[in-house]
Amino acid sequence: MSAMKELTKGLIKENPIFVLVLGMCPTLAVTSSVINGLGMGLAATFVLVCSNILISMIKDLIPSKIRIPCYIVVIASFVTIIDMVMAAYAADLHKSLGIFIPLIVVNCIILGRAEAFASKNGVLHSALDGVGMGLGFTLALVVIAGIREVLGAGQFLGMNVMPSAYLKQPMLVAILAPGAFVTLGLLMALMNLVKNKK
Amino acid sequence: MKVFIHYALVLLIITGLACGILAMVNKQTKPVIEKNQAESENNARSQVIEGAVDFEKQSLKINETKSLDYYIAKDAQANVLGYTFIAIGKGYSGELKTMVGVDPDFKIKKILVIQQTETPGLGANCTKPEFNEKFANLTFNDLKVDKDGGNIKSISGATITTRAITNSIKETLDMLQKNLNQSVKPVQNVQDTLSVQQGVEI
Repeated sequence: MSAMKELTKGLIKENPIFVLVLGMCPTLAVTSSVINGLGMGLAATFVLVCSNILISMIKDLIPSKIRIPCYIVVIASFVTIIDMVMAAYAADLHKSLGIFIPLIVVNCIILGRAEAFASKNGVLHSALDGVGMGLGFTLALVVIAGIREVLGAGQFLGMNVMPSAYLKQPMLVAILAPGAFVTLGLLMALMNLVKNKK
Repeated sequence: MKVFIHYALVLLIITGLACGILAMVNKQTKPVIEKNQAESENNARSQVIEGAVDFEKQSLKINETKSLDYYIAKDAQANVLGYTFIAIGKGYSGELKTMVGVDPDFKIKKILVIQQTETPGLGANCTKPEFNEKFANLTFNDLKVDKDGGNIKSISGATITTRAITNSIKETLDMLQKNLNQSVKPVQNVQDTLSVQQGVEI
């Protein structure tokens, strides 16, 4: 596969949320507003790229029987380092993203890509795969969060986008937990519909 | 047998390296993080009491196990402008921490919700300035939400977040008031109002 394909496959064709159905826990939890989705997506992308690069570099040194604990140590260390460095040198960014960073450890997209891709491919392709998958994850989070925020709060990125009559009585259920399940399910159904038509 | 030693060694090396790197990063960042935290708390403190430049930390012993930290706010001429304290209450889905600034007569100057995990769109609106402004100029006896006969308008119908914040401030303010100024006697017993309100809630 060409390098370009590795980069773009994560956006739609192998989108980690809608197609691979990975990382559901953070997806449901953080998509109550667009800014949260964007923050979680970008933070996860960063960790994903770093861990993909490192794991593809050390893949020949790790015996296959103990690869999973090794990957988890690598990923958890990266997450912790990023958490500490951000808290120290980018305090404002850490304040808004801080709650998502520990959640990245339990994001199975990262372990999934380490296992399915980085452990079998070279450094360059693994890095591109990480960027593509991360951006696909971010895109999916922003789409879900956009729908939920517009319907549930009448806002997009904190700006009012709906008529004032709607703002008074928004469809609150959309930003509560059930709204996450319904939105995700409908979007997946839509993706499948488009794919089956082709 | 050999293979187990091999696996154990590889894992040992990887976890050892990870530990070493984390310890190094931690050593580098810990003082900076602590400085940042102290700064942001100080920042919140100077927001609730305008014009204060110096905060003197004090600790009140409430009973054997509990103590209350508060800060005396002073301006550049060392005049006492008031006190700040953090009120902690239990909200709908976790702890609610509110930074409160009062003047020397224990009238609230300003509050700032500094930590919350409430429902987005409902309780989480407690961080908005429209909500915090409702507490300005209130005294101990005014600290009542609309459902309990007061003037503090609740964020949503369930009143859980508003009541938690109001009561946590009331309780902490009461402790501070009683200990600092014995002559100011609160009219109402906090414990009584709390138990009545809990009955309503359920």
